Amino acid sequence: MELLSPALGTIFWTALTFVLLLVILRKLAWGPLLAMLDERETKIRESLEKADAAQKETEQALARNQEMVEQAKKEAQELLSKSRKAAEASKEEIVQKAHAEATKMIDKAKKEIDGEREKAVEEIRSQTAELSVMIASKLIGKSLSAEDHKDIIDSSLKKMVGTN
Amino acid sequence: MTAFESAAGGEAGHEALGADFIMQHILDHPIIHLHFMGFDLSITKHVVMLWIASAILVATLTVAFRRPKLVPKGLSNFFESIILYLESEVMRPYLGSDSRKYAPYLLTAFFFILVCNLLGLVPGSATATGDISVTIAMATLTFIVVQLAGIRNNGFFGYIKGLIPPGLPVFILPIMVPVEIIGLFTKHVALAIRLFANMVAGHVVIFALLLIIFTFKSWLVGGITLAGILFVSLLEILIGLIQAYIFTILSSVFIGMAVHQDH
Repeated sequence: MELLSPALGTIFWTALTFVLLLVILRKLAWGPLLAMLDERETKIRESLEKADAAQKETEQALARNQEMVEQAKKEAQELLSKSRKAAEASKEEIVQKAHAEATKMIDKAKKEIDGEREKAVEEIRSQTAELSVMIASKLIGKSLSAEDHKDIIDSSLKKMVGTN
Repeated sequence: MTAFESAAGGEAGHEALGADFIMQHILDHPIIHLHFMGFDLSITKHVVMLWIASAILVATLTVAFRRPKLVPKGLSNFFESIILYLESEVMRPYLGSDSRKYAPYLLTAFFFILVCNLLGLVPGSATATGDISVTIAMATLTFIVVQLAGIRNNGFFGYIKGLIPPGLPVFILPIMVPVEIIGLFTKHVALAIRLFANMVAGHVVIFALLLIIFTFKSWLVGGITLAGILFVSLLEILIGLIQAYIFTILSSVFIGMAVHQDH
């Protein structure tokens, strides 16, 4: 049968055509295509790895931020309580100081009053002596000698001091 | 057209003429007669079809992949989806890490056979893959690639030794050695005949249905037959794809078996 009898010429041409086609396509199509597929594969892998790393980094940054916020809150709390304590302490101190000052001033005033009273007493005493001399001379009507004066004053003074 | 008329018109020798009409369209015809050193190297219709198919492939695939982009578009996207499918379904499972090495051969075979199959459906053309000479040439090329792959991976003697399954009792060897050697060739003979027979069968059916129209000369029969022809033609598109796929996957399997002889 002619249908099943191979023709050598056609076999030759087919093989030649195919081999040439293979060589041409390998150079112009399959080579660049397969190289590109490899490149794409590595690129996709790299991108995925990069995305993974970026996500990890973001998560880390987020955690760090959270931690920082937490820390800041804690610090603020601490600062607040510390300053409150300090304010309390200084208030106490001011009150104490004011108290002390007041006491000191009162003491001073008391001393001054005492001094004034002493002075006033002294003055009264000397004036009393003069007055008494005047009164005595008027009553007696006669003047006494200087020695008599002196004796009288001394004795009356002694009496006053003794009664005082 | 003369075949049509004589087949449809003649009363005597009706069947013989019908068969002639079919054979006329399926068989190859020389276009340019060429003889070289006693060999008939005529350029036939099928050879011209092979060249047309090659030209189409070189033109489209070069446009698609000369400067391939990481993000494919249009034509390259279309071809890339086919190629990636072939890579994951046809090459990787059988060739593994070697698939890149044999991809150019397998891809060229697939697209070459596919385009030849589909070109055969264009009216006025011929189906080159429906020619036993063409399929024998293709199967022979696969045979050569398989043997080279086996020898390259296992060494010449390693490959020859690996052809016989290990651990066989010695007394079976006289039977097994010829069986394995015959098996080596029958696989590829089957490859040639499968493609040839599938491509021829569809066309025989189409031409036979055409003959029915001109034999009955009735609008009713003609209409029904035309629907049949349309159906078979659509089926032929499917068969053209399937046969190209089968040829490629079997080539891949044979290469894989030669490369990894232990399983």
